[in-house]
Amino acid sequence: MPMDEVALDHGHDSHDHKPGFFARWFFSTNHKDIGTLYLIFSLIAGVVGYSLSGLIRWELAEPGIGPMLWIQTTFFGLDGDAAVTAAKHFYNVVITYHGLVMIFFMVMPALIGGFGNWFVPLMIGAPDMAFPRMNNISFWLTVAAFILAILSMTVPGGSAGNGFGGGWTLYPPLSGSTGHPGPSMDLLILSLHTAGIASILGAINFIVTILNMRAPGMTLHKMPLFAWGMLITAVLLLLALPVLAGALTMLLTDRNFGSQFFVPAGGGDPVMFQHLFWFFGHPEVYIMILPAFGIISHIVSTFSKKPIFGYLGMAYAMVSIGVIGFVVWAHHMYTVGMNVDLKAYFVAATMVIAVPTGIKIFSWIATMWGGSIDFKLPMLWAIGFIFLFTVGGVTGVVLANAGVDHALHDTYYVVAHFHYVLSLGAVFGLFAGWYYWFEKMFGIKYNSFLGGLHFWLMFIGSNVLFFPQHFLGLQGMPRRYIDYADGFSTWHYWSSIGYAITLAATLVFFISLAVAFIQRRKATESGNPWGEGATTLEWTLPSPPPFHQYNELPVVNTKGGH
Amino acid sequence: MAGDVKHDYHLVNPSPWPLLGSLAVTVLAIGSVTYMKGLFGLAEGTWWLMAIGFAMVLWVMFGWWATVIKEGRIGDHTPVVEIGLRYGMILFIASEVMFFVAWFWSFFEFSIFWDARVGHTWDSANALFADGLNRFAQWPPADVTTFDPFHLPLMNTLVLLLSGTTVTWAHHALAHGDMKSAKLGLILTILLGLGFTALQVLEYSHAGFSFDGTLYGSAFFMATGFHGAHVVIGTIFLIVCLIRMYAGNLTPQKHLGFEFAAWYWHFVDVVWLFLFAFVYVAPHLVHGGGH
Amino acid sequence: MRRIGVESVRHILAALSAAILAGPAFAAEPLDGAINMQPAATRIAERVHDFHNVLLVIITAITVLVAGLLAWIIIRYNKKANKVSRKFSHNTTIEVVWTVVPALILVGIAGLSFPNLYYQNVTPNLGQIVATSKQLLADGKSAEHQAFTKNYFPDAAEAGFVNVKIQGNQWNWTYTYADIVDESGLPVEFVSNGLHKGRASDPTDGLRLLSTDYPMVVPADRYIRFYTAAADVIHSWAVPAFSIKVDAIPGRLNEGWFLVKEPGVYYGQCSELCGVDHAYMPIEVRVVPQAQFDAWAELMKAGDFDAAAASVRQIASADAGAKFASN
Ligand code: HEA
Ligand code: HEA
Ligand code: CUA
Ligand SMILES: [Cu+2]
Repeated sequence: MPMDEVALDHGHDSHDHKPGFFARWFFSTNHKDIGTLYLIFSLIAGVVGYSLSGLIRWELAEPGIGPMLWIQTTFFGLDGDAAVTAAKHFYNVVITYHGLVMIFFMVMPALIGGFGNWFVPLMIGAPDMAFPRMNNISFWLTVAAFILAILSMTVPGGSAGNGFGGGWTLYPPLSGSTGHPGPSMDLLILSLHTAGIASILGAINFIVTILNMRAPGMTLHKMPLFAWGMLITAVLLLLALPVLAGALTMLLTDRNFGSQFFVPAGGGDPVMFQHLFWFFGHPEVYIMILPAFGIISHIVSTFSKKPIFGYLGMAYAMVSIGVIGFVVWAHHMYTVGMNVDLKAYFVAATMVIAVPTGIKIFSWIATMWGGSIDFKLPMLWAIGFIFLFTVGGVTGVVLANAGVDHALHDTYYVVAHFHYVLSLGAVFGLFAGWYYWFEKMFGIKYNSFLGGLHFWLMFIGSNVLFFPQHFLGLQGMPRRYIDYADGFSTWHYWSSIGYAITLAATLVFFISLAVAFIQRRKATESGNPWGEGATTLEWTLPSPPPFHQYNELPVVNTKGGH
Repeated sequence: MAGDVKHDYHLVNPSPWPLLGSLAVTVLAIGSVTYMKGLFGLAEGTWWLMAIGFAMVLWVMFGWWATVIKEGRIGDHTPVVEIGLRYGMILFIASEVMFFVAWFWSFFEFSIFWDARVGHTWDSANALFADGLNRFAQWPPADVTTFDPFHLPLMNTLVLLLSGTTVTWAHHALAHGDMKSAKLGLILTILLGLGFTALQVLEYSHAGFSFDGTLYGSAFFMATGFHGAHVVIGTIFLIVCLIRMYAGNLTPQKHLGFEFAAWYWHFVDVVWLFLFAFVYVAPHLVHGGGH
Repeated sequence: MRRIGVESVRHILAALSAAILAGPAFAAEPLDGAINMQPAATRIAERVHDFHNVLLVIITAITVLVAGLLAWIIIRYNKKANKVSRKFSHNTTIEVVWTVVPALILVGIAGLSFPNLYYQNVTPNLGQIVATSKQLLADGKSAEHQAFTKNYFPDAAEAGFVNVKIQGNQWNWTYTYADIVDESGLPVEFVSNGLHKGRASDPTDGLRLLSTDYPMVVPADRYIRFYTAAADVIHSWAVPAFSIKVDAIPGRLNEGWFLVKEPGVYYGQCSELCGVDHAYMPIEVRVVPQAQFDAWAELMKAGDFDAAAASVRQIASADAGAKFASN
C-alpha cells in the first residue's frame, strides 16, 4: 500500500501507531482506512461499470448487431442464429449490470462509503464513526454483494444465456420464473439484499455519528453541509432500502416457493412490484445526489473565499428534497395504466422538488457572487456540476408532466436525463470531491495539468455523449435496444464519439493517479492547501490526518463559521 | 488505546468478525441459490452449502456479540457510547418497521384494489383472463377460507399483550435491583413468547389456504410469517438476557442488552396489533366470516 | 466506425435543416439527424407538441440563465478581477424571489399540463360530444362550433369507436377487432411480426426494424379505442407520432384512444424491456380511408390475410386524387 508509506512520513505523533498490514486493511475499525477501502473498491467497480458502458456504446455506434455478435462468435464459439440470440441477450445483460454496478457499487460506495466515512467524522470533530466495527462489515458486505453480482452474470439466466437481462429495475414477470428461470436472478436478488443490509448498517452508523458525536459547540445548525447531506442521505437509505428488501423477498419466494405476489395467474400483480421498487428507487436517486450537493457547497465556498450563502436554506432545501422524495415515486410508472387523478397528483408532487433544488443552485451562484474566485481544479468540477445538473434537472421537470412522459417514457430522453444528473451530476460531484480532498486523504499532491486535462476531456466528452440522446428520445428511440432503425444512426454515432472522448479522459485520470503516487509531491505543510476559504475542521489537521485524530476534541467557537 | 485520549468515545480494536461475517453471507447466499436452483454442478436441493453458510453466520453473530458484551463489561460503554447504542437500536427498529411496511402495503393493495386487476372488463370471454376472472372476482378469492379472528388470533393477541406487561415488569424490577422478580418476569415473558409461537404453528396447521397457489395465502403467510420469525428472534434475544441475568451480568445500572430486548419485544408486539387489526379483523368485518 | 470530417458536417447540416423544414407530413418514422419529435399525427400528439414546445422554451431559458450567471461570475469575480471577496451570506429578498418565481413557473406549467393529461387519459364520451356539437350549431354559434369540432370531430364521433385489443407476446403483437366478426362469430384476429430480427437471413425490403408482415389497420378520422394486454411479460405499445405509450401488462387491461385524421403509415416499437427480441417487435399502423378499411376487413373475415395486407400496402388518400404512397 503506497498510502501506508506516505502516511508514515507524517507519523510524527508517537501515539499514532497503526496495526500491522493485514489487521489494518482487513480487520479495520478506522474510518479513514475504511473510507480508503471504499474508494479503492469504487475505482474497481467504476472500471467494470465503465467498461460495460463501453460495450454499449460500441454496439450502438452503428445500426445492426455488431460487436455483441463478434463477442459471441469469438469468445463463446457460437454461430448463426444462436449467436444472434445470444448477442441480443448479452446486450440486455450488459445494460442491466452497467446500471446496477454504477449505482450500487460505484457512486454509492464512493460518495457515501468513501467520502462519507472519511469526512463526516473529520468535519464534525469526531475521533471515528460511532460503530467502527459495524462500519467495516458495511464495507465487506458491499464487496460480498459485488462478488455475488458478478457471479450472477456468469451463471444461467434465461433460455438465451447467462446472466440476468431484465434491466436494473428488475420488473417481473421478466425477472420471475417466466422470464429468467435460471439461478442468475436469484444470485442477483441476494446480492442486492446484501448490498441493502450493508447500506442500512452504514446509514445507522452515519446517523448515530452525526447525532451523537459532534464536537462540543457544533449544533446541528452549525454543522457543515456535507454532514447535512450525509445525514439526510442516511435517513433516506434507512427508510427506503427495507422496502426494496421486501419487494426482493417477494420476488425470491415467487420464483422459488410458489408465492403469487407478482404472478397474474394467482391473482398477483406485476405493477405492485413497480410500486415497491420505485418507493425505494426514487429516494435512491436523491441518495446518490445529496452527498454530491454537500461536496459542491464546500468547494464553492472554499474557492470563492466566501461563506456559504443562505446556509440554513441550503440545509433545509436538502431536508425537503428528502421528504418530498418519498411521495413522488410513481412518476416512473405513468404508462402502467394508473388512474388519471393519481397521475395528476404525482405530476404536481414531482414538480415541487424543483423548488428546493432551485434554491440550491441559486444559493451556490450567490455564494460565488462577489467572491474572489480561484479556479482550481475542484472548482472547475463544481461549476461543471452546477451547469450539467441544471440541464439534467430541467429535463426531469419535462418528464414529470405525465402527458409528455407518455411520449418520452422509456426513450433515450430518459436515458439522457438520468445520465445528466448521474453520470454528469453525481460523477462530477465525485471527481470534485476527489480532487478537493485528494491531498488531505493521501498526503500527496495531484498533477494539476493532468487533472485539468481530465476535466476538460470529460466535460466535452460527456456532453457529446449524452446531449444527442435527447434528440434520439424525442424522435422516439426506445431504451434498452441492441439495434435501431436507420433513422437513429447519426446521433447514436455522435454519442459513441463522445464515449471515445470520455475514454481518453478516463485514461488521463488513471495516468494522473499513477503520476501522483510516483511523484509523491509532499502535501502543504499546514494541512490546508486552499487557504482562507477552507474553513471546515478537516483542514486544521495534517495531511494525511493522524491514524486517530481529535484525541482531544476540538471546540467549535460559538459564533459559528457560516 | 493511547493514554492521552481525552474523550469517552469507544475506539474499537481491529476485528476479524466483519470480514468473516461477509464471507459467511457469501457462502450462505451461494448455498441458498444452490439449494433453490442448483449451481456449479451441485444439484437443486443440495442443502449442505447453505447449512455451512448459516452455521458460519451464527458463529459470527455469537463471536461478535460476545465481544460486545465483553467490551461492555470492561467499561468501554461510557455514557456517551450508551446513548449512541440506544440511537442505533431505535434506528434499527425503524428500518424493521419499513420492512413490514412492504408486507402491509402489498396486503392492502391486494385486498383493496383487487378489482383493478384481472376481471371487470369487456374481455371476459378471452381465455387469457377467463380463469382469473372467475377465481379472483372477489377478495379473498373464492377458494380461500379465512381465519376467524376471534378464536386463535384473539388468544394470541392476549398472549402477546400479556408478555408486553411481563417484560415491563421485569424491566422495572431490574431497575430497582429486585433480581428475583426480574428473573420471574423475564421467564414468564419467554414462556409467553414460546406460547405465541406454538399457537401460531397450531393456527397455521389449520389454514384453509397455502403460501403457494393463491395470492391471499402468499400475502397472509409472508406478513404473519415474518412477524413470527421476529417473535422467535425476540425470544432468543430474551433468553440471552435471562442467561446473562443468571450470570450476574445485568445490573440495575447497566443492562442495555435487556433494554434493547424489551424494545424489540414491544416492537414485535405492536406489529402484531396491526396484523391483528388489518389482516385478521378488518377483512372479517368487511367481508363477513369465512366463505 | 465511420470517418469524422466532411460527412459529420453533412450530418449536422442535415439535422439543422430537418429541424427547420420538419419532415414530410406522413413519414411517421424516425428521421436521421432530426432533433425534435416526429410530426404529430393525432390530436393528442399535437397537444403534446404544443405543450412540449412551451416547456422547451422554459427549460432552455432556465438553463441559459444559470449558464449566463456562471459566465458572469467567471468573468467578473475571478480572483484577478476581484481581489477581495465580499463576506455577505444572506439576502432575504433574493431568497424569497428564487423560491417564489420558480414556484410560479411550475404552477404555470401545471396549468397547461393537467388539461393535456386528462385529454389523453379520459376516453371521449362520444354521445356528449355529438350533443354539444349539435347544440352549438343549433344555437348558431358557428365560431364556437368550429373550435369545438376542431378537437372533437363530431362526424367521427357519431360513427362510434373502432375497438381493438392489442396483446403483447414475446415477441410480436396480436391484434383483435372485437366488433368485426365473421359468420361463425369469431372476431378478426391476427399476429403481427416484425420483418427483421437482426439476422443475416432477414428480408431486405421494408424499413429495417419497423416494418411488419401484417400491419395494424385502422380507418382515418375515426375514434380508435384500444386495450392492451400481455401474454407473458410486460410490453408497451407505443407510436411516437401518436404520442401514445400504454404498457401491456399480464393480468391487466389498459385502455387508450386515438384518432388519426390523415391516412398514412405510422411506426412504433415495443417500449418496455421484454427479453431477447425486445428491439424486434415493431408496431406498424396503417391508417386508411374508411372504404379501404372496410375492404380490408372483408378480406380479413374471409381469412385471406395476405390479400388483406396487400390491400393496404398502397394507401389511398381521404380526399380523392392525391396519393400517399408508402414504403
Ligand atoms: C441523481 C439522480 C437523479 C436526480 C437528482 C433526478 C432528479 C429528477 N428527476 Fe429523475 N431519474 C433518475 C435519476 C435522477 N433524477 C433516474 C436514474 C431515472 C430513470 C430510472 C430508470 O427508469 O431506469 C430518472 C427518471 C425520471 C423520471 C421518469 C421518466 C420515465 O421513465 O418516463 C422522471 C419523471 O418525472 C424524473 C423526474 C425528475 C425530477 C423532476 C427531478 C428533479 O429533482 C430535478 C430538479 C432540478 C432542477 C429542476 C434544476 C435546478 C432548478 C432550477 C434552476 C430552478 C428553476 C427550475 C424550474 C422552475 C423548473 N426522473
Ligand atoms: C451512476 C450511474 C451511471 C453512470 C456513471 C453511467 C455512465 C455511463 N452510461 Fe449509463 N446507465 C445507468 C447509470 C449510469 N451510467 C443506468 C441506471 C442505466 C439504465 C440501465 C437499464 O436500462 O436497466 C444506464 C444505461 C445506459 C445506456 C442505455 C442503454 C440502453 O438503454 O440500451 C447507455 C447508452 O449509451 C449508457 C451509457 C453510459 C456511458 C457511456 C457512461 C459513462 O461512460 C460516462 C462516463 C463516466 C465515467 C467516465 C465515470 C467513470 C468513473 C470511474 C472510473 C470511477 C471513479 C471513482 C473514483 C474517483 C473513486 N448507460
Ligand atoms: Cu415487447 Cu419489449
Ligand atoms: Cu424518480
